[in-house]
Parts: sequence; C-alpha cells; structure tokens
Amino acid sequence: MSDHVTLELVDEEQAVREALDESASASRAEFLKRAFVAGGAVVAGGVMITGFPQLAAARAPSPAQDVEILNFALLLEFLEAEFYTRAEASGALSGEALEFARVVGAHERAHVDFLVTVLGAKARSKPSFDFKGTTDDQGRFLATAVVLEDTGVAAYNGQGPRLTRGALANAGAIVSVEARHAAWVRDIVRARPAPASFDPARSMSRITAAVAATGFVQGA
Amino acid sequence: MTILRKGTAEMAEGLTVEEVDRDGALCEAADRVGGDTRAGFLRKGTLLGALTATGGVSGVLAAPAHAVTRDDVAILNFALTLEYLEAAFYSEAVEVGALTGDTLVFARVVGAHERAHVDFLRKALGRAAVRRPRFNFRGTTEDEELFRATAITLEDTGVEAYKGQAPNIDTKAVLKAALSIHSVEARHAAWIRHIAGMPPAPAAFDPAATMAQVLAAVAQTNFIVARRRVTRRRRAPRFTG
Repeated sequence: MSDHVTLELVDEEQAVREALDESASASRAEFLKRAFVAGGAVVAGGVMITGFPQLAAARAPSPAQDVEILNFALLLEFLEAEFYTRAEASGALSGEALEFARVVGAHERAHVDFLVTVLGAKARSKPSFDFKGTTDDQGRFLATAVVLEDTGVAAYNGQGPRLTRGALANAGAIVSVEARHAAWVRDIVRARPAPASFDPARSMSRITAAVAATGFVQGA
Repeated sequence: MTILRKGTAEMAEGLTVEEVDRDGALCEAADRVGGDTRAGFLRKGTLLGALTATGGVSGVLAAPAHAVTRDDVAILNFALTLEYLEAAFYSEAVEVGALTGDTLVFARVVGAHERAHVDFLRKALGRAAVRRPRFNFRGTTEDEELFRATAITLEDTGVEAYKGQAPNIDTKAVLKAALSIHSVEARHAAWIRHIAGMPPAPAAFDPAATMAQVLAAVAQTNFIVARRRVTRRRRAPRFTG
C-alpha cells in the first residue's frame, strides 16, 4: 500500500487545544489596564470572551484570494472526480463499493462543474492523473477513498476562514457532502465514521504537499 | 426542510416572545442573523425559553482574550442550544436501553461528541452561555427505529444550521471552530443514515438553513420544555388552626 496518501489527521485533543489556545489567563483588571494603555482594545458594544486564539493575521479575504482558494479546491475535486470515474469503469468494484463510486463520483463531477462555473475564465485546467493502481482493486480503492475524502474535509475546513462570505457559502455547501462521503466509506470498511468530535483543518501548503506525495497528479 | 414528527404527549408549555425576551436581545439577534425571516420567526408566537441569554449579552466580561461580537455570541448560543438538545437526546437514548448493535454504538460515540461540543461552547461563552434547557423527547429515545429517524433529522438539521450561520460569523477563530464542528455533524448524519439504510449523502450539495428556520423546526418537535410555568392565580391557601 506504499502509494497511498498517508495523512495523519490531527487527533481530537490537538484540534480542541488549537481551538481553545488560551493566552495566559489575564485578569479582568489587567485586561482593562492594557486596553486603556493600548487605546481601545475593547470593541465598543462588543463582548470580550476567552477561549479563542488569535489566528495569524493572514491576508484578508478578497475576491482574488477566493480565486486562488477555489482553484485549489477545484484541483482536489478534479482529482476525486477522476478517481471515482476510473474506479467505476475499472470493473474491479462490486456491491456497495461500486454504488459508492457511482454516487460519490456523480457528486464530485457536480462539484467540478460548479467550481468551473463559479471561476469562469479563471478556472484552472484539469491535470492528468495516474492513480497507481488504486482504482483497479476494491480494497485499495476503498482505503484511498477514505484518505481522499478526509483530506477534502481538512482542506475545505482549512480554507473556510480565508474565504469571503459568498465563497464560504459556496464552499460550505460542498464540505459537508465530502464529510458525508468520508463517513460513508469509513463505515463501509468498518472504520469509525466520525473519528473525533472536531474535524481538523489543514493548510493549503500541507494539503498540497500531501497530494504531491501521492504522485497521482501528473503535471499540474 | 424535514420536520420531526410531533410527539404524541401533551404539548409543551410554550412561552411567548414577549414573556421571554425582555431585553430584546433575542429579537435583535434573530433580526441580525436572519433578517428577512424575522417575521416568520416571531410569528410563531412561542419561543424556546432556553434561548434567553443569561444576564443579557452586553454586560459580560470574562477573562478576555479576544473580541467576539454580539452577533457571534448569538450564533454560538444558537449552536449551544442545538448541541444541548443533541447531547441530551443521545445520553437519554443510551440510558433508556432500547438501542442495540450499530445504533447503540452510534449513540454512544456521537453522544460523546455532542457533549464535547457543549463543553467547548460553554467554555468559550463563559457567563454569556445560555442555560441548558429541559427536554422531553416524546418517546423518540425509547424505540430504536424512532430514534434513528429522529437522529437523522437532528444531524441533518445541525448541518444546515451551522452551514447557514458560517457566513454570518465575524470572528475568524469562531468560524474555524464552527466549521470544525459542522463537518463532524455531517459525518454523524451520514453514519446514522447508513445504519438506517438511507442514502448517506443524498445530494451533491447540502442546503443551508437560517436560524429562524432551524428554531421553527426545533420548536415544532416540542422537545424543549419551558423552564418556568406561566403562573396562574391560585386559590389562597387556607390555614387551619
């Protein structure tokens, strides 16, 4: 199984720790002192609540950044769509695995069409793929599908906060379907459909590196 | 959107909007996050009493780390209410003992997830967290098939709810957490659908629902029971002796 993507999905505890990354518990008095010194750190009429980390001030959401992110998503959808299309056609699948490939392949193809439509002239082109035999064997197909679907969820979750509201609504409609795919195929192979109470988010660079490591994409 | 079957037991005592939302915070919240549906939201006349933010929103200052807007607090409390409901539903179902096999495994595992979501949201909200409501699940935890049907609707609704709110969230870190929960609810939905023999992923795109739509659907279940009875005049007690 050496050609498989091996992504360690962050465990639940780490995901929660990330989400809750509390700065040193500042007392209220200290906060107010700092707020006055800093000059208006308190949001007027807002509420100060502990428990959320300050995410690195990455580039603010913008239409240009949306294009970059949605093209990144499109690459993953191209990959999944082609994977399922070839697996369905391979003749190697039967029973529920075949049904999964059919249903989910149709979904991924719809995702491709949707993103291509949204991106218009800016849509990236479809690369060529070599799935290293993972579409020709039911066991390898199912194991690879688990990783691909989990990866898709992590990728969308990673990019969500970086999107403009409109693009987020579009991506939001897709990510939960990928999560459904992931749970379904996990159940087929009798793995835990929902392995943790929080799903991890992964950066674009980490996902890109993981995908590159599979060797599936031949010249993007 | 799918609506849960009404319980056969007596109707829950509902509170009117006016009785519950004294400082107007809830109406404001519904207005901001579901603007065009406010009319529909309020028209129902009854309200989940549990959604009243304790102590009002604007005065809360916990040991602060970062600014979270009032809108975000309303959204988090909305999420917390749904998580309270799911957590209680699964806990009760496991306790009642009518579940077997994969369905029982599902209820245990997913119940733990929902409890973790409750813990996280309560911790994040601190004193701004709404209280846990009282529930009456109208028999849906006592029959395995009814449980599965109800769980499917609860999980699908949860997905729609988080999805609907995500674009409304102001704070990046809150959004990150919400997305991380949203996809897990989708896993739950697919899992229980699969157990029930239903399509795990019924469509290529999942729909979003507004806060008002979700609250209306939940209100129709009568699962949430008002905390306080509307007091009626009683006969004056008679004392002997």
